[in-house]
Amino acid sequence: MIEPFTLPFMARALAEIVLLALICGPVSVFVFARRLSFTSDALTHTVFPGVVIGFMAGQLFAGALVAAIVTAVALTLLTAGGRVSDDAATAVLLTAMFSIGVVLVSRRSSYTSDLTSFLFGRLLTVTPRQIAETAVLAVVVLIALAIGARALLFRTFDPAGAQAAGYRVFWLDLWLNLIVALVVVAAVRAVGTILVVALLIIPAAAARMVSDRLAVMVVTGTVLVVAAGYTGLLASWTASLHYGVALTSASAVVLVLVAVYLVLIPVRILRTGPARRT
Amino acid sequence: MSWWDDALHRATAEVILAGCLAGLVGVHVVLRRLSFLTMALTHATFPGVVAASIIGVNILLGGIVAGGVVALGVAALSRRRGQDASAATGVLLSAGFALGAALVATQSGFSRDLSSFLVGSILTVGPQDLLTTAVVLVVVAAVLLVSARPLQLIGFDRAGAEAAGVPVGRWDIVLLLTLEVVVVTMVPAVGTILAVSLIVAPAAAARLWSGRVVPMTVLSVVFAVGSGLAGLWISSRWNVAAGASISLVATAILAVSWPATRIRPRPARPATT
Repeated sequence: MIEPFTLPFMARALAEIVLLALICGPVSVFVFARRLSFTSDALTHTVFPGVVIGFMAGQLFAGALVAAIVTAVALTLLTAGGRVSDDAATAVLLTAMFSIGVVLVSRRSSYTSDLTSFLFGRLLTVTPRQIAETAVLAVVVLIALAIGARALLFRTFDPAGAQAAGYRVFWLDLWLNLIVALVVVAAVRAVGTILVVALLIIPAAAARMVSDRLAVMVVTGTVLVVAAGYTGLLASWTASLHYGVALTSASAVVLVLVAVYLVLIPVRILRTGPARRT
Repeated sequence: MSWWDDALHRATAEVILAGCLAGLVGVHVVLRRLSFLTMALTHATFPGVVAASIIGVNILLGGIVAGGVVALGVAALSRRRGQDASAATGVLLSAGFALGAALVATQSGFSRDLSSFLVGSILTVGPQDLLTTAVVLVVVAAVLLVSARPLQLIGFDRAGAEAAGVPVGRWDIVLLLTLEVVVVTMVPAVGTILAVSLIVAPAAAARLWSGRVVPMTVLSVVFAVGSGLAGLWISSRWNVAAGASISLVATAILAVSWPATRIRPRPARPATT
């Protein structure tokens, strides 16, 4: 069970997932409570043009960071504007930014392989440098979350009350969107977009089945991600090595997470009882 | 050599048909705020299409089955207390995409298939695809025409419609299935990203110009077809990906409509926003 992880590349992949678990557990709870699933999905796609431009300029990390911050600001502005409904605005921004990335990539020769590596990441070829970058961003995200946690919680559960109490709701929304953007930047290059979306949405949704308390949800979510990361990597290793089935590691991790979510649905029903209505 | 033998001509016809489809259904997507669900449906057709092509059955059938599972799954999951539609949609979206990716990875020719799924390959549409799109367009237009009244009523006043005895749940399913058929028809030809942007952006722009459903629908179809044609022209002129340039044109229309409708006096609208 531990033997595959003695290989350096497997150990690095697991280390990356554990780091991401530490930030995705807490952040996903906010994403869940604020219903930001679509926003986080959008952020993973809009980082793409930044990655492409960054790659051409030789500053991949900076490119992703700039694109993420620009999108977070644009999303907050658009959804606060109220002229176009926020889901339509998010969808349009997502497709537009992604299209810019595709246009840029389509001028290059290694078109399809670039797209693929962006979508699925290269979990097994994570370098120590990328782990270091993720670690730094993880610390930044956790500090930002710790500073804003109380105000963000207030705004989540009582927006009118928060406004009346003197909080600037717009800036709080921007703060949270920036935190999500930073998580995406920390994760996207190593693990790819699909895994990032899954890590931002599923942990809290699954943890919600087990508990209503936020602190418990944070811990459960983090543990779930670590467990799913370990199981997924192990499954992909076993399938590829012993059964000759090419199972990409990122997909395996996501599928394990989804399976956990589905398994926990009956727990929720048992806990609350089917008779209880909203 | 007939007119249909030229790839660019076929692509033009497909863009016009897809634009009409997207414009028609887009109005409902924007009014009912179903953008995220549309996004999830495009991702969910992916494993269905891949599985169908592995087993060897009709690709359209695979997409419809997978899309149906997601549409009903979101409806079922979001009824649970404490789970809202947005989280359930997100879970199904990532599940569908991961499953599709895992299935594709077991086959060879991996990245080629994947990128054509994402951005479409509009220049390779055949006469068969054109025929399918045309048939779907006729069916969808008929369904939307028949159900226009109840859908409009539910869209603007859900509780009122329920009180008036309209079977709200049944019409919701009609709308979801229509949306799903549109997505499944569009994705193989034009790709996921383009499908979403062609459905949402023109309708959102039309919404800015008019608050009434009929003018909004007409405008939305015109915008969708227009951005399709303009995008195709840009793509053939400057040699960039067709899907991406079409969706950028659609976005540009929305971006222009935004300030343009702001200048126009709007007496009908109260000044509270």
